[in-house]
Amino acid sequence: MANQNGNMYGLTILSPIIDDPKIKISHDAALRMYLQNMHRHERSPFAKVSGTHICRLVVMDDVVFVGHPAKEEHLASKYLVFNSNLYGGLDAYLEEMARKMPEVVDDIWSHCIGYPGTDPQAFAAYMKKCQIETTFYFADVNYKTVEQTLTALQTKVEFALFIERQQGKSPAELQRAFAAFWARVEKLPPPLAGLKELAKNQAAGV
Amino acid sequence: MTNINGKAYAMNAVTPMKAWKTPILRVLFFLLGALKSKQQDLINLSFIHFARWVIVKRDQFPRLAPEQPEEHLRYDYLLFFSNFNGTWNQYIDAFSAVLATGLNLIWRWSEKFPGSVPVTAFKRYISLVQFDTDYYYTAYPYATTNDVKAAIRVDDALREFAGKSQGTTPEEFQQAYLQLLVKIQADLGEAGVAPMGT
Repeated sequence: MANQNGNMYGLTILSPIIDDPKIKISHDAALRMYLQNMHRHERSPFAKVSGTHICRLVVMDDVVFVGHPAKEEHLASKYLVFNSNLYGGLDAYLEEMARKMPEVVDDIWSHCIGYPGTDPQAFAAYMKKCQIETTFYFADVNYKTVEQTLTALQTKVEFALFIERQQGKSPAELQRAFAAFWARVEKLPPPLAGLKELAKNQAAGV
Repeated sequence: MTNINGKAYAMNAVTPMKAWKTPILRVLFFLLGALKSKQQDLINLSFIHFARWVIVKRDQFPRLAPEQPEEHLRYDYLLFFSNFNGTWNQYIDAFSAVLATGLNLIWRWSEKFPGSVPVTAFKRYISLVQFDTDYYYTAYPYATTNDVKAAIRVDDALREFAGKSQGTTPEEFQQAYLQLLVKIQADLGEAGVAPMGT
């Protein structure tokens, strides 16, 4: 299935945006303002949706006229593009969006035609009506969850510091230090999703 | 700029295609998906987290209510979404230098595509058909795709080592530890800062 690459799913949604000439601020303009001010990094609402590796929201105003001899044409509606690279199954992901970020889902998709509200199953069904099949999906790493990826990034930093601090130690000291290190690192929770920087743990390498 | 989050850049592009060309492109994408060897150059470039092409036929734009106007389009459209590391110029330069044949096979069906070589006309075309991202999220903005792959290699190797080194003498442990370091030494570097520039 073209949407799938290994355990990764390339979700492409085009939701038609409401066009109401009677309102002062158009829905597409309001949507843009909202997205501009939405929390980012670890405070992003998508950080709560566990399968989200990378996603984006784009207000697509129109198609592009590439010049003569191509013909100029225009979309009758504007579309909200939601593009996510997610680990796992589609229905579970969409329902999780509605459960974990209901206010944001409402704030965004209430600008779109046919939006049913944040009932998880109704929202998932609506999004699937707006889904376009991905024709070709490339995923460089396609088999790790977000948590596994974050854990690996943290472990690498921890171990690099450990190596640095254990230089010159005797075999017995090294073995004891590694046992303590591994017992600590194995229990570390993964870093928060969306963090701008991975902070080096002050106790790292011990 | 919302196209950028940490080390990741979100590119969006839309190009028109005459409807009769769409099935040809679908066959080419099918072959690209089926023949993994054809993706090797893309994998070797190793600076794209995820990328996708999406064909939207002229009658496929979602219409969810009778009051929503119907689309009356002449062309089908090819959407392209990429999440890559580095600057826009580095990305397009690398595509042009390394993937010219593949890119031409994909985009030659789009109207007025000039070819991916020479790069100046290619960049002009991409600038024309690109549109900006309004919100961009990544779970690991500080990590490039190479950082992610290196971290996975270190994590996997370390877990294996931790299991196998149990019950060894200190001297055996040290020997195995040094072998581990040799194995993963190229993957231990810091993630570093994102590139500056355009």
